[in-house]
Amino acid sequence: MPQRHIVYLHREHPGDMAQLPEYVKAGGYNGLMKALADMEPDDVLYQLHRSGVRGRGGAGFPMGRKASFLPKDSPRPAYVVCNADESEPGTFKDREIMEFNPFQLLEGIVLAGYAIGSNHGYIYIRGEYEHQARVLDRAIAQAYEGGYLGSGLLRSRFDFDITLYRGAGAYICGEETGLLDSLEGKRGQPRLKPPFPAVAGLYASPTLINNVETLTTVPVIVAKGADWYATLGTEKSTGTKVFSVSGHVMKPGNYEIVMGDTSLRELLYDICGGFRPGHDFKACWIGGSSVPVLTAEHVDTRLDYESCETAGTYLGSAGCIVMDDSGCIVRSSLRLAHFYRHESCGKCTPCREGTMWMEKVLQRIVDGEGRMEDLELLESIMGRISGRVLCALADGAVAPIESALRLFRDDFVHAVEHGSPAREPMAPMGA
Amino acid sequence: MSDYAPVNLSAPDQIEFELNRRRLAAPAGTMLVDAAYAHGVEVPVFCYEPRLGGPIGACRMCLVHVEGMRGLQTACSTQVQPDMVVRSDTDEVRDAHDGVLELLLANHPLDCPVCDKGGECPLQDRTFKFGPGKTQFVEHKRHFPKPLDLSSLIALDRERCITCFRCVRFSQEVAEDGHLIMRERGGDSEIATFTGDHYTGRFTGNVIDLCPVGALTSVPYRFVARPWDIKNTPSVCGHCPVGCNLELTEHEGHVARVTGRPNPNYSVEEGWLCDKARFAYPEDRAPDRVRQPLIRDAAATREVAIEEAVEAAALLLGRDGPHAFLLGPGATVEEGFLAQELASGPCRGALVAQLGLGDAPALAGLRAAPAAQLDDIDRADLVVLVGGDPANQQPVVELRIRKAVRGGGRLVSAGPRRHPLSGLGPSYITPPGRLLDGVRAAGPAFRAARRPLVLWDEADLAHEPAAAAELAGLLGATRGARQLELGADVNGAGLSALGIPGAADLVAALEQGTITTLLTIHAQPAESAGAARWAEALGRVGAVVALASHGGGIADSAAVVLPAATHREQEGVYVSMAKRAQRLRPGAAPPGGAAPGWELLIALAHRLGAAPAYRSPAATFAAAAAARPALAGLSYDVIGELGALLHAAPPATTNGAVGGGGADGTGLPLVTTLRIFGDAAAHRSDALSGVRQGAEVVLGAGEAERRGLAGAAQVRLQSPHGACTLPLRVDPRCPDGAVHATLGVPGAGVERLLAVDRSPVRVEVTAA
Repeated sequence: MPQRHIVYLHREHPGDMAQLPEYVKAGGYNGLMKALADMEPDDVLYQLHRSGVRGRGGAGFPMGRKASFLPKDSPRPAYVVCNADESEPGTFKDREIMEFNPFQLLEGIVLAGYAIGSNHGYIYIRGEYEHQARVLDRAIAQAYEGGYLGSGLLRSRFDFDITLYRGAGAYICGEETGLLDSLEGKRGQPRLKPPFPAVAGLYASPTLINNVETLTTVPVIVAKGADWYATLGTEKSTGTKVFSVSGHVMKPGNYEIVMGDTSLRELLYDICGGFRPGHDFKACWIGGSSVPVLTAEHVDTRLDYESCETAGTYLGSAGCIVMDDSGCIVRSSLRLAHFYRHESCGKCTPCREGTMWMEKVLQRIVDGEGRMEDLELLESIMGRISGRVLCALADGAVAPIESALRLFRDDFVHAVEHGSPAREPMAPMGA
Repeated sequence: MSDYAPVNLSAPDQIEFELNRRRLAAPAGTMLVDAAYAHGVEVPVFCYEPRLGGPIGACRMCLVHVEGMRGLQTACSTQVQPDMVVRSDTDEVRDAHDGVLELLLANHPLDCPVCDKGGECPLQDRTFKFGPGKTQFVEHKRHFPKPLDLSSLIALDRERCITCFRCVRFSQEVAEDGHLIMRERGGDSEIATFTGDHYTGRFTGNVIDLCPVGALTSVPYRFVARPWDIKNTPSVCGHCPVGCNLELTEHEGHVARVTGRPNPNYSVEEGWLCDKARFAYPEDRAPDRVRQPLIRDAAATREVAIEEAVEAAALLLGRDGPHAFLLGPGATVEEGFLAQELASGPCRGALVAQLGLGDAPALAGLRAAPAAQLDDIDRADLVVLVGGDPANQQPVVELRIRKAVRGGGRLVSAGPRRHPLSGLGPSYITPPGRLLDGVRAAGPAFRAARRPLVLWDEADLAHEPAAAAELAGLLGATRGARQLELGADVNGAGLSALGIPGAADLVAALEQGTITTLLTIHAQPAESAGAARWAEALGRVGAVVALASHGGGIADSAAVVLPAATHREQEGVYVSMAKRAQRLRPGAAPPGGAAPGWELLIALAHRLGAAPAYRSPAATFAAAAAARPALAGLSYDVIGELGALLHAAPPATTNGAVGGGGADGTGLPLVTTLRIFGDAAAHRSDALSGVRQGAEVVLGAGEAERRGLAGAAQVRLQSPHGACTLPLRVDPRCPDGAVHATLGVPGAGVERLLAVDRSPVRVEVTAA
């Protein structure tokens, strides 16, 4: 069985895990109880370190290392911030975790707080996740009622509060410093780094900011031990990972699999049921939309961080967008350019102006008004964005389009010569 | 404006690094852009502006190669490190500069030929120096209707904006008015006000200087001149005693613009100007400007040649005395010294006095305490503000105080009025005469402070000797404590340095009818404190010669009017409230037959047969410096571009402001307030017509209720000295126990309520 719902999804559990008694019955809060009873904060930190768990938001930075960057002697309070602004195209794993397994996330946040000496956690949830926000709200209320949150939780001397905060619909607020600015009530824009959030994050205080999935891992690592966790996956990609598969497969959805165990081919053909009859794989953005595209040539790539890098892409958020041979790579590129242009915050020049320019050029090509030199122009624009921007957003805009232009050049040349191979002309997209 | 922070290359502990294969050094903590600029290498910037706080790394213009670091680094946010190897001249870096400029220009309208900024535009200059010769952009550019009135003073052209955030950061983080925001996002980002209303405030014009493109331009200067048709002259402001350094732009013979200096004086204004300093210049061409010499007799008023007017003045002053010379607060050191020279020569025995507060004995102890400069406010961990209202009276001080508080300093204020800084820390409002209570309440804060700084208001403390003594005691008892005077008069410190006293004796002499001729120099006694008494006294003088730049008041009745240059049109020295001597330089020549005051006074001395040995302002000042110990060692050369401090204390002089007595009269104690756009200059300048402020009476809700005035639209104030009638505003936040009235507004007449020495009064408030 390539799927193993042992960390996040727990689909085999018969009860409703979004209800506190069911979560407890399933072994929930064992990790927190164990930590409060037997472990010093540093022990928890050590377990995170040892587990090798990497950030599930997209960058894949080891969580234990990130937590260890927080200064121990700061006169300011420390904060845990949960990044639930899941807005990477094709990514919907945090949504399921929050909806069906919210207590494990809350427990993970409390444990992270315990490890870094924080007494307050914030969940920044994207505005569009209205239902999930309601579920979390209820779960937080139940946790307070049950003594799993608040002062002296679980009859210990540890206090912890969680505040749920709803975003207002901006992709950039998923960038950690943009999120922090937004959480502080400012315009959501990335900050210049350093200082990193670990040193000066929320309200200029030491802040541990992690993705929903990452924090949801913590209770399992604490309860079952880092050594058990590290046996899963590969050396550099430990544990399981939820893949959100969308697009031209028969059974799209969230799938939790052990990293390195499975290849892209197995994920698409075995787990997701393959393609529609008469169609086959054309392209795949494996880590959300901000990563280089993969072609049929890469279909045997194993699903872990290092194998993806070998294949020339990134595991990212594991929001795997799949396209079969009925799709048009040029139009897809335009759609992506439109997305990044629309979501660019406008703070730094190359992103603000570059994404706008990229979209305009691609729109012309799709409209059949492209010039052959536009392909070089696109490369030139992307070269002037890549690596020269304030945050990862515009690099994320360049990666899929630059790779598409390189790997599917014939499609672009064809589009320039004959217009988009569309069934009908594509209407310009609104704002 | 200067885009780079000043770097002290001679400070100890320099860090050595390499830039473009040159071995260089700069102090630890210096940003690469600043270190490079100090060594003559321009790394281009747009968003970087060290006066706005930490770097934001938004424009990406300053990318450089740093050996050992992945990718290019923003030099605005990278500090020099020992042995760091930096290149700003590699092909990769050149491509980055070129690339960012190409992107910035993609949606820029390139309407330089019709843009006010063209010719003095950082975007234009840097495009020529670092940018693309040719764009690859063939798409339609983004269009906005243009321009918008961001306010009556500032035009906003959103197409030209390069989204550098400088103006927004100024509004949010320097002026802290919170008005300017970036609206929308991405390529749709645009500058706007939070409320959608005009951008109003005391410092709004600074965003024009900050804007590196033509997006924010001055409405009064719009389409007036091109940069190759103007001449810029560094000078200082003559609207308050802070002495902000600024630059005057001359076009077609008059001052057409005032801006911050390209190289700010970091010890004074740091490059920021208040909107009065920036937009009052049209007063030089106001309708009531005196352009020609006048001789007035019972029959008629005649415009005459300057020689004839000086002759007529000399005839009046050549008669038997005693005469009297009255200097306004804006008279220069040279004008004051020349008046003194006349009084010790041809007009022997003449009384010389200044309209300003002059020397107040109550303040001697405070003035003797260790003195601070404005930049010391930044570093204070405690700012104690006693009396006054710097936001309206010495505006740029507000920005320094806000900066200190942003940096972690505490502000404690005590005084008779609420003001825009009251909310930044504990504030003790005390009724007039009871400031001692406020000082005592602020006292404990000194104990915890390591670098306390006291800002004290000259006008408020002159009549509160107990509070002044207590404050002087606190200063003496606290190690490291320093004080900075919030002066009342533009050049009060300069005239006091000459030993010119306040006008108490002069007004008494006028009343006795013993003065033959009164010469006023930039003075408007009938519009100053004690206006009622002045008007009476002026009726008893034999003749008046008025050296004045504007009509109204004394110039409308004087027998001889000598048309004078304004502070934007003449040479001279002003001494700021921080005892910094600074040079005025003429931005333009005075109009018509008007001439600089020093020139008119020297001509007068010639006519009176006592030709001085000097005939230039520099030589006049040199003579003053040689004769007056408080100015010892100073000369125009020593003062230079950035000014020089007076080292010796001014001589003690007599003055009526002895203080300590109770308030005259019955009724409520009067608290006078000043409003930044409420004075004669603001009212004369048509540029400021959209923001100018009138006079009003303010009462607390309880006080208004008690006196049955809650519904009154107008009230009459009556003091022992005079009366006036003004609109009433009932403000629930205004403390009871006093009545507040606006001073300085032309025609409002609050000055009539006061004594000449501005001592405390009580007024009866009745419905009018």
